[in-house]
Amino acid sequence: MIKIENLEKIYRTEEVQTKALNNVSLAVKEGEFVAIMGPSGCGKSTLLNILGLLDEPDGGSFAFAGTEVAHAPERRRAELRKKHIGFVFQSFNLIEELTVAENVELPLIYLGVGATERKEKVAKVLEKMQIMHRRNHFPQQLSGGQQQRVAVARAVVNSPSLILADEPTGNLDSSNGNEVMELLTELNEAGTTIIMVTHSEHDARYAHRVIRLLDGQVVLEHAHV
Amino acid sequence: MLQHSLLLIYRNFKRFKTTFFINLVGLSVGLAGALTIYLWVHDEWSFDRYHATTGRLFQVLENQRTAEGINTKYGTAPLLAEALAEEMPEIKYAAAATPPKFFPKFLLVAKEKIVRADAKFAGKDFFHIFSYNLLQGDASQVLANKTAVVLSQEMAAALFGTAANAVGKTVEWQMGMADLKQTCIVTGVFGPIPANSTEQFDFVLSFDAFKDIMKMGESMNWAEDGPFNTFVVLHEGAEEAQFRTKISGLLQRKLTTNKERALLVQPYADKYLHGEYTNGVPSGGRIEYVQLFSAIAVFILVIACINFMNLATAKASRRLKEIGVKKTLGAGRFSLVAQYLAESVLMSFIALLIALALVELLLPQFNAITGKQLALAFKPHLVLSALGITLITGLLAGSYPAFYLSGLRPVEVLKGRLAGSVADLWTRKGLVVFQFMLSVLFIVCVWVVQRQIAFVQSKDLGYDRNGIVYFEAAGNAAQQPKTFLAELKRLPGVVNASGMWGSFVATNASGVPMEWQGRKIPVNHLGVNYDMLETLGITLKEGRNFSPQFRTDSVQIIVNEAFVASLGLQNPVGQLLENRRIVGVAKDFHYESLHEKVKPFIFRLEPLAAGTILVRLAPGREQETIGRLQRFYSAFNPGQTLTYHFLDEDYQAQYAAERRVGVLAQYFAGLAILISCLGLFGLTAFTAERRRKEIGIRKVLGASEFSIVYLLSSDLTKLVGVAILLALPVSYVVVKRWLESFEYRIALEAWYFLGAGLVAVSVAWLTIGAQAWKASRANPTLSLRDE
Repeated sequence: MIKIENLEKIYRTEEVQTKALNNVSLAVKEGEFVAIMGPSGCGKSTLLNILGLLDEPDGGSFAFAGTEVAHAPERRRAELRKKHIGFVFQSFNLIEELTVAENVELPLIYLGVGATERKEKVAKVLEKMQIMHRRNHFPQQLSGGQQQRVAVARAVVNSPSLILADEPTGNLDSSNGNEVMELLTELNEAGTTIIMVTHSEHDARYAHRVIRLLDGQVVLEHAHV
Repeated sequence: MLQHSLLLIYRNFKRFKTTFFINLVGLSVGLAGALTIYLWVHDEWSFDRYHATTGRLFQVLENQRTAEGINTKYGTAPLLAEALAEEMPEIKYAAAATPPKFFPKFLLVAKEKIVRADAKFAGKDFFHIFSYNLLQGDASQVLANKTAVVLSQEMAAALFGTAANAVGKTVEWQMGMADLKQTCIVTGVFGPIPANSTEQFDFVLSFDAFKDIMKMGESMNWAEDGPFNTFVVLHEGAEEAQFRTKISGLLQRKLTTNKERALLVQPYADKYLHGEYTNGVPSGGRIEYVQLFSAIAVFILVIACINFMNLATAKASRRLKEIGVKKTLGAGRFSLVAQYLAESVLMSFIALLIALALVELLLPQFNAITGKQLALAFKPHLVLSALGITLITGLLAGSYPAFYLSGLRPVEVLKGRLAGSVADLWTRKGLVVFQFMLSVLFIVCVWVVQRQIAFVQSKDLGYDRNGIVYFEAAGNAAQQPKTFLAELKRLPGVVNASGMWGSFVATNASGVPMEWQGRKIPVNHLGVNYDMLETLGITLKEGRNFSPQFRTDSVQIIVNEAFVASLGLQNPVGQLLENRRIVGVAKDFHYESLHEKVKPFIFRLEPLAAGTILVRLAPGREQETIGRLQRFYSAFNPGQTLTYHFLDEDYQAQYAAERRVGVLAQYFAGLAILISCLGLFGLTAFTAERRRKEIGIRKVLGASEFSIVYLLSSDLTKLVGVAILLALPVSYVVVKRWLESFEYRIALEAWYFLGAGLVAVSVAWLTIGAQAWKASRANPTLSLRDE
């Protein structure tokens, strides 16, 4: 599904150049659950942003579902994002002016799904995430765990083939965190590919495979059994 | 999608209440100002455009070359209209007419009814040429006869009780000052003349009858020009350019000598706004005020839009997450741009509702200032323009934020890092500077206009306009001027009195050419009775006043200093000019407005002059003397009542336009400053909020309140300072140009500009300072606990 080769990303300031990613190559197959780990500043989030088509690499190639997208124009990237990729963030990133249901509905609006179908899909996914009773609340009225469930619901409502999760449990206590990890596992078992950045060894155990980064390079890759 | 956008807009409004209200107030006030000005501009523009012949309807003007350049006159020779109709096949209709306000009011008499009314003599196709609403009578016939009179509906009703069957009835008209009268038959009735018409009259008589009365038939020739208006309508499809060429050469063919005259034409619809000619070519007129106020309307709207842009981009950091998430979810740039534009357009339509209410509320006041009768009526042009202006305002206000916000990169945005590029920062600063530049410009303009008007009020005019009343004499007063004036002067409270033909203030300034030793200059004449210069308070430089002691005075003249200078006379008193001897030289006095240089002027003695009577009243006793005057007039003239005016009113009327500009400029300057300050208020409030934590930390570390106020206000204060510096040269050029339209004007002093800058900086600083002070007093623990 994803194949990157010799990926490079360099951040430049006036005085220094930092190689955030240095010759990173990896491949993720459809249906896989991959965890990316490493200390702060090792390039995990940069890699995830590039995989999510939110950022562009400075070198190397990136094939998404067989197509080269490393330097695709913004319009094409937006198109791919809305059709194929769902995002879950550490800080949830829910829009505060929108209710739970409206937040979840947003990707469907951008996909041009009709109103009736949207209502059905939103209800279904909220039901599944057990947050239906909170559908008309605003994000700030929910607990962290509930907010992250809404964020996951929003990420999966349009049934993307790939979910990118950036420290999905980072702001949650352990029981809420576990709940979110269960959710992701379920989605993965239903066929969704998941790439997750995490600090937590505990969370990484849910993944099939762990990729460890250090100073922008892949230093270790191993499978969980 | 639309529903979603509306929802977000609504919730964003709710979340950012202060910003919402600042934008709402700013845009409402801005739109109200723009709509009011639109109504005024539209009314000005619509003047004289309602005639069905517009496009083919022209007035014929005459250029005359004099020693001082080309003089353009709306007055033409009486025989011109007929000659044009005969000789130029392009012309469908041509008619001569007496110009507006050519006569004092006439008396119209029908059986026992007498009414005073404004007269016009016009050629027979007058009602074909102009679309004055003819209710009764046939346009081809109403003026075909020398005894015809066409009455306004109002006059017909006043004379006969009803206008319905006025046609065929008999009316006598009398011209008050001379013993002129004629019995006529009503041939038609016309409806009310629209307010947006330059010509306003109560009845129309045949121009042929006028020629007979004035005995012009024998003396008409091409060498004479005249004061009459000539109007022509071309055939449909006639070549205008060709017509213009032909008519410009007409006088050359007709004249044998004095070939320094040429005809030209002006579309009649242009007369009102483009009524000024300099050296033979159009040089503006009221159109300048139309342009000025249109520019003011645009500026005020731009200032309001700038607030919207500034506040929207300033609070962008608060909406970054929304933008970032949407972009991550695949929202295209277009949909984001559309959302923000929808937000600003919706905002401006909400503002439109409030603006309409404001306009409705303020129109009576505005009408009182401008002397118009504007109303918010639901006419298609008004509805479309209001919607158009609102839409453009919304798009303009939303444009910069929309493209700025939608152009941000999602990764940066989600990390909470606002690109905050130098360019954006400069744009925002530039907008604040621009806003305040306009405000300072407005303040300087208001100040200078006020000073110039005060100067006009207090300037020594060379005569004393205060305490003089004048009236038009009729009946016995007009027929026995000597007795009338002698008895008038004996009334207690009357200091002096005299009579003249025509009016004193703003006499027809084009003048009559006069020649002396080969030098030819246009001269204004006024026929006056004894004691006129004394009554007006005009002093003599040399020579003497007219006096009944000198029998020959009726062929003698008093000239002004400008006359002496223009002809270069060495010893003027005693010189003979065109059979008239100069007996005195009056010191220059301003018979025209202070826009004009004092031009050559002649007083002719006319012992029978009693058209207009001027009376100087003893100061402090004006009211009782006027009462006495009214009783005396009615006793001398049984059946007539006195209608009088103060000379000062006429003088003030010359500056009506300037006074209006002054008052309006004041209001609009107020608006500009109000809206600009609202913007500053919003920006400061926003900065204080964004830096709340920083302020908290600084205070914990021991910062004083003053240093916090300085922290928050110094940037914006500097911007206002820059705005003032930039505004000063611009405003200098603008007010200098305006003042140049006055021949007599105030000198521009530095403190007008410095004062304006000081006002702007004070108002701005009060706005910023109040906010900054509030922020500096906040309890730091509250802001720090938040995180």
